[in-house]
Amino acid sequence: MAGSMALNEEEAYELLTFLVTSARIQQDEPASYGSLRLLTAAERLSGFMMEHSSSGNRGFLAGIQEDIEQMTDSMADVERFVTSLDELCRVVAQHLVEQNGLSGGAS
Amino acid sequence: MLELIRTRRVIRSMTDKPVKRAHLEKVLEAGRWAPCGGNHRLLRFVAIQNPVTLRLMRKVSPGMSQRPAAAIVLCIDWDQVKVHKIPAHDRAISIDVGTAMENMMLAAHSIKLGSGPVTSFSKEALRVVLNIPQNLSPEVIICIGHAAPKDQMIMIPKKKVTWQSLTDWERYAG
Repeated sequence: MAGSMALNEEEAYELLTFLVTSARIQQDEPASYGSLRLLTAAERLSGFMMEHSSSGNRGFLAGIQEDIEQMTDSMADVERFVTSLDELCRVVAQHLVEQNGLSGGAS
Repeated sequence: MLELIRTRRVIRSMTDKPVKRAHLEKVLEAGRWAPCGGNHRLLRFVAIQNPVTLRLMRKVSPGMSQRPAAAIVLCIDWDQVKVHKIPAHDRAISIDVGTAMENMMLAAHSIKLGSGPVTSFSKEALRVVLNIPQNLSPEVIICIGHAAPKDQMIMIPKKKVTWQSLTDWERYAG
């Protein structure tokens, strides 16, 4: 994974623009929309990453996209939305742990 | 007419099938005939079909989940607001945007096109992308295209809404 490109220049600019414009419109929108925008950015990022990543990571990224799609559909149920966000955080952290060879108990 | 109103939905997923110019013109005409405060005609429309422009619009519009084949941007002409000596905070200005938007969305639905409004965009970035002058403010983007058969992000209301549940007769009952 080290040194490989996660997204190309065009994709990076798309994400950059999305984040900057989201930062501005967030000033005019309900606070809960902030989570939605960040999730949309994460969904787009994972979509771009899928194009460039190794086959081993594609399943993880596809799962992330699927989770985000389901979550954004159920935002009206705040409690469920927050629970899903926590679960997504755990999934991402677990992936990082495994990628960095930290799985297993303390030694 | 009531059937059109009942069956119109906000379309958040569209196919890449092009929208005919003549169809877009019908939608624009519906906007022109929308009721407006004092018949002052404070709105201006920017219609877009160029795929590159549409792609750039989407990039500066975080709320645009669609990839529309066409779009119409409804702008308030603040020079006209001044000409008619209308206070900038007059609610009629925003109501004009709403009536034109609804007319356009119903017109699109009547010719089997899907539509979806987007207000979550950077006004300044959109101004740059579409070369919109300072006297105009873009208020809403109406995405127009052919509805994808599936993959619609449906927002289900928490409780069922009927006209009766929204209405009080003669005096507000609370």
